Amino acid sequence: MVVKRERDRESSSGLQPRIERARDGTPTILVLFRTCKFVLIGGLVIAMKRENLVKITATFLSLLALLGFLKWTNSYASPYIVQILNLTAIYIILSTSYNLVNGVTGQFSLGPNAFMAIGAYASALLTMTPAEKEITFIIEPIISPLDKIALTFLPSLLIAGVVTALFAFLISFPVFRVRGDYLAIVTLGFGEIVRVFATNATSITNGSLGLKGIKQLTSLWWSWSWAIFTVFCLVGLVQSSYGRAMKAIREDETAAQAMGINTFRYKMLAFVISAFFQGIGGGLLAHLLTTIDPKLFTFLFTFNLLIIIVAGGLGSMTGSVIGAVIFAWGFEFLRWFEEPHQIGGVFIPEIPGMRMVIFSLLLILIMLFFRRGITGRWEFSWDWVFNKLGKKIRVTN
Amino acid sequence: MRIILRIFLVPFLLWSLVSRAEDMIKIGVILSMTGGTAAFGEVTWTGMRIGRSIRPNVLGKEVELILVDDKSDKIESANAAQRLIQKEKVIGILGDVASSNSLAIAPIAEENHIPHISPASTNPIVTLNRKYVFRACFIDPFQGEVMAKFAYNDLGAKKAAVLMDIGQDYSVGLSNAFQKTFTKLGGKVISRVNYLSGDQDFTAQLTAIKETNPDVIAIPGYYTEIALIAKQARELGIKTTLISGDGAEAPELTEIGGKAVEGLYYTTHFDEKAISTPLGKKYVEIFRKKYNHAPDALGALGADAYLIMLDAIERAGSTDPEKIRDEIEKTKDFQGVTGVIFIDSNHNAVKNVVIRQVKGKESVYVSSVNP
Repeated sequence: MVVKRERDRESSSGLQPRIERARDGTPTILVLFRTCKFVLIGGLVIAMKRENLVKITATFLSLLALLGFLKWTNSYASPYIVQILNLTAIYIILSTSYNLVNGVTGQFSLGPNAFMAIGAYASALLTMTPAEKEITFIIEPIISPLDKIALTFLPSLLIAGVVTALFAFLISFPVFRVRGDYLAIVTLGFGEIVRVFATNATSITNGSLGLKGIKQLTSLWWSWSWAIFTVFCLVGLVQSSYGRAMKAIREDETAAQAMGINTFRYKMLAFVISAFFQGIGGGLLAHLLTTIDPKLFTFLFTFNLLIIIVAGGLGSMTGSVIGAVIFAWGFEFLRWFEEPHQIGGVFIPEIPGMRMVIFSLLLILIMLFFRRGITGRWEFSWDWVFNKLGKKIRVTN
Repeated sequence: MRIILRIFLVPFLLWSLVSRAEDMIKIGVILSMTGGTAAFGEVTWTGMRIGRSIRPNVLGKEVELILVDDKSDKIESANAAQRLIQKEKVIGILGDVASSNSLAIAPIAEENHIPHISPASTNPIVTLNRKYVFRACFIDPFQGEVMAKFAYNDLGAKKAAVLMDIGQDYSVGLSNAFQKTFTKLGGKVISRVNYLSGDQDFTAQLTAIKETNPDVIAIPGYYTEIALIAKQARELGIKTTLISGDGAEAPELTEIGGKAVEGLYYTTHFDEKAISTPLGKKYVEIFRKKYNHAPDALGALGADAYLIMLDAIERAGSTDPEKIRDEIEKTKDFQGVTGVIFIDSNHNAVKNVVIRQVKGKESVYVSSVNP
């Protein structure tokens, strides 16, 4: 019932594309998922609807274009551009997974800095070689099993994700006993606990000295494969019956419960999945920066992600991706305002901090003119693109 | 959307119109001009600019300092370093003050073979096993050693208590070195208690220390906590001499601590009265004329980082980053602002430590300890 109401609302607000064939508004990603299943089961590609085939081809081609772009950047662009592109991918992973809890399920969590910290430390400790650990841990030697382990990148990232998810699973029991603002405070508390633990457990984390000499393993391929994988998984999840239950919880938790949705189970599911990807994101970040310490994972990091998802559009994965891209590139573009300039006959000296002012102004503008973020709850879909193209063609004709 | 696009487009268009002077020697500066440690960035930048005004040319070309803000943030520091090297094509990087940010800059400098001098990052692992990374200050262990020697030899202390801030790598490093040296000299560290930066109440730790009755209490932390600890210690009736590291050096120390911090000794990098070099004298003169108050240590270190770099460029006789690196490594007997500087095999600056004592609202020079 609730699920149906949700759907009706979406279609009535005009979010549903109007063409008849898209009556279920299925997005490309899920279509691809389903398709893959079909292909695997019986190879029934020919039996598939023509429209779906078009959408799959469109998805495939755009992914190919992205990969082509990445390949080109990898060989020709400067490491500076590569660095920002890597950060963009990491921000996409972090913000879309954060959006699953805050935007889709409507649970105001402030704990992603804790998840990132766990993921970053876990993966870094697993990839560092014993020799590197020995020279980095100068206050106290690292504890026994960790000093001998050295894994490759993929297993350590996966372990980091699983460890983070496990942590989220454990804390979800106390955390989801409360709702709303109280939930925010409890998750904030866990975030601080993790940070303080990282500061004090010198024999595991090297305390406030932090870790140095982490191998730079994060490349465009790693970060963007994970980003694409994350977005596909999360969009698929949001569009599934699980996702609709999560949205029902966001709209009205009590009503959802009355309709027979086990709210605790779905909230926990969102929390754990989100934590898994945030752990991965933290691991990728650690292997990009090659150094981490507890000060990196303060509440400010969570706050940055919050800016991304709110400015992008709370509840929309498209919005989170756009927000992440703007956040990663925006600060670098705005550096222009801080540099000294000779414009015509006027010399303007450098103004440190100017870009923060402009960035804040931009945020205010976004929130004034796009009350619900840049995209609101709108999601990208091929139907929308075809609709737009169709209209254009009609106009030109 | 369109508005935003325009806002992003305008700088681009302007960018293409603006041309820059090409025939200059470009040195990148990464400092925290905004964010948590903005105050450090500000004073360091002041010092660097004075350093540049003392010596604006090298190899017959003018030096351009390109300042990039890192928002007191690790990720931004890494971006800033990439930007300076790839886009501005700098031949050397100076910065940042906070060790955690310098740790993010260092691997990028290392990878691109660009010499990097941090003015005041004291965490030992910043330069550890790195070929292109240096610092213009001494490291925490060295300062801790001097504190211990001063406490044992000059203050005649035999029993010491240590209050360590476990939230700061700086404090942990200093405390460990203090304890090691003090014990080696024949003294005894009878109690060692911890606190965390941001704490307000230290009575529990201080009561524990009071029972052991030490001759000296070492507080190698930052000024806010030192002032609060001093205040609460005096209220508890502890009259023991207090000693701390360069984290104590800030006007806030006496503003918060008032009479309680009177007589506190601290080690630092720089004092007007300890100046022995012509560069130092010139620096103080310009600083006094411009700002009309006593110059601070961070600014002086900023100037030193700049001047060490310039000295190396001059000796290398070229702007090749590899050659500059080799020359920075060979720096010895360099008559810098903060004293005579040697660069040791671990790329740390070795130079004399200044000891000052709080008297009223000011700090007075006590002595200099040579390495």
